[in-house]
Amino acid sequence: MRTANLQDQNELIRASNRPRGRFQIFSGQTGESSGGMGGGEDNHQRFARLVLPHLGDAYSLARWITANRTDAEDIVQEASLRAFRAIASVAEGNSRAWLLTIVCNTAYTWLRNNRPSALVIVDDLEAVERTQVATTDLDRETPETALIAKTDAASLETAVAELPPAYRETLVLRDVQGLGYREISQVTGVPIGTVMSRLARGRARVIKTIGGKSL
Amino acid sequence: MTRAASYEDAVLRVHAYVDGELDPANALGVEASMAADPALAAEHERIDVFRRLVREHLPREEPPLGLRARVEAAVGMRRARMQPSWRALAASIAVTAVVASGATSMLLAPSGTKTAREGIVDDHIRSLMASQPVDVTSSDRHTVKPWFNGRIPQSPRVVDLGKDFPLVGGRIDVVGGTPVPTLVYGHGKHLISLTAVSAAGHANSTPTLSEEGGYNIVRWTEGEVTYWAVSDTSAPELEKFAESFRAAPPDR
Repeated sequence: MRTANLQDQNELIRASNRPRGRFQIFSGQTGESSGGMGGGEDNHQRFARLVLPHLGDAYSLARWITANRTDAEDIVQEASLRAFRAIASVAEGNSRAWLLTIVCNTAYTWLRNNRPSALVIVDDLEAVERTQVATTDLDRETPETALIAKTDAASLETAVAELPPAYRETLVLRDVQGLGYREISQVTGVPIGTVMSRLARGRARVIKTIGGKSL
Repeated sequence: MTRAASYEDAVLRVHAYVDGELDPANALGVEASMAADPALAAEHERIDVFRRLVREHLPREEPPLGLRARVEAAVGMRRARMQPSWRALAASIAVTAVVASGATSMLLAPSGTKTAREGIVDDHIRSLMASQPVDVTSSDRHTVKPWFNGRIPQSPRVVDLGKDFPLVGGRIDVVGGTPVPTLVYGHGKHLISLTAVSAAGHANSTPTLSEEGGYNIVRWTEGEVTYWAVSDTSAPELEKFAESFRAAPPDR
């Protein structure tokens, strides 16, 4: 299942193009018709209120996706610029999920342009999620809790970093950054059922890795 | 397959239960299923342990100092003054001429278009926009000081100012065509660039506060070196920094 053929890889690359679409969902009615909402507040003030408070979350997500601090900073800057361009028309509401959506999009665009290999080494996730039910990740063969509890920070970080990107981003958004399922669904652009499945599988893989169980 | 599928479904529900995503009725259902199936109860325990491990070992990493300033500059909330207006330029030259009357001729660029003050502020802004505000990153002055040795003629005085102004690192800036050492200290979410420019033959002077392009500057001369501290932190804080630096014991 790790040997995705060329066609699968193309599909994966195409699939990873989707974040562009996700962004559209949120900045939907962008256009140039920036209505005068929020009377008296200019774009910079709006940016300061809606975007700046979430830079920490943005940086954390970008760093987990790229596994590189310098790249993460570049991505946050680029994503902030994109957010700023859409700031006049973005709806009030969950600005953190909105910004993280842009960060996700920017990060995958960046990876596609700079490190395409990071995207194609993934299992054919979609196929796994569609057809393969509970044979590898979510089975009853799991390590003892006591073994898991003994892990150290470095092993845990490595295990999370080695997850396929889709599992990793879901797990990080939930367990490191504390987003709810609905927010994660917004940010990653997949249905809540997929979020749940990715989260459970991601956790199961990390638990098996740190528990020393090779299945 | 259906049996496996329903087990998987039950596992997903346990995760949702731990994550507080279930309404009370579904939560009750999960509690009942965990009571009935030890495998699900064990899964519950593992998720709990896992989440505790993540909380302990993978705290959300704080963004580096300077990222916020970099983002603000990128969207134009801070002016990175590449083309200063005539008024500002004239004013800053005038101020420099008065304040820096004792400074070396090196402090005015030959063409007269860019003062040392502007150069130092520009270097500070550029460093905020770069991926790293420093070329050597260390909070240990015994690492930072030797880094300058061999790169520039005179390595600067590097002191430890405690947790109020933690040392971030150092870099080399260019002022009036001459490479000069700049130390970078943190202060809360702000960065302070401290540039040391040789001022041979000049008397000591006490710190003087000024402002350039939205940045505060404190400048003083001590031991034939003129220090320029630049930051977007408040003027009183920057003056406090200057006092701490001046009061710190010699670095040997």
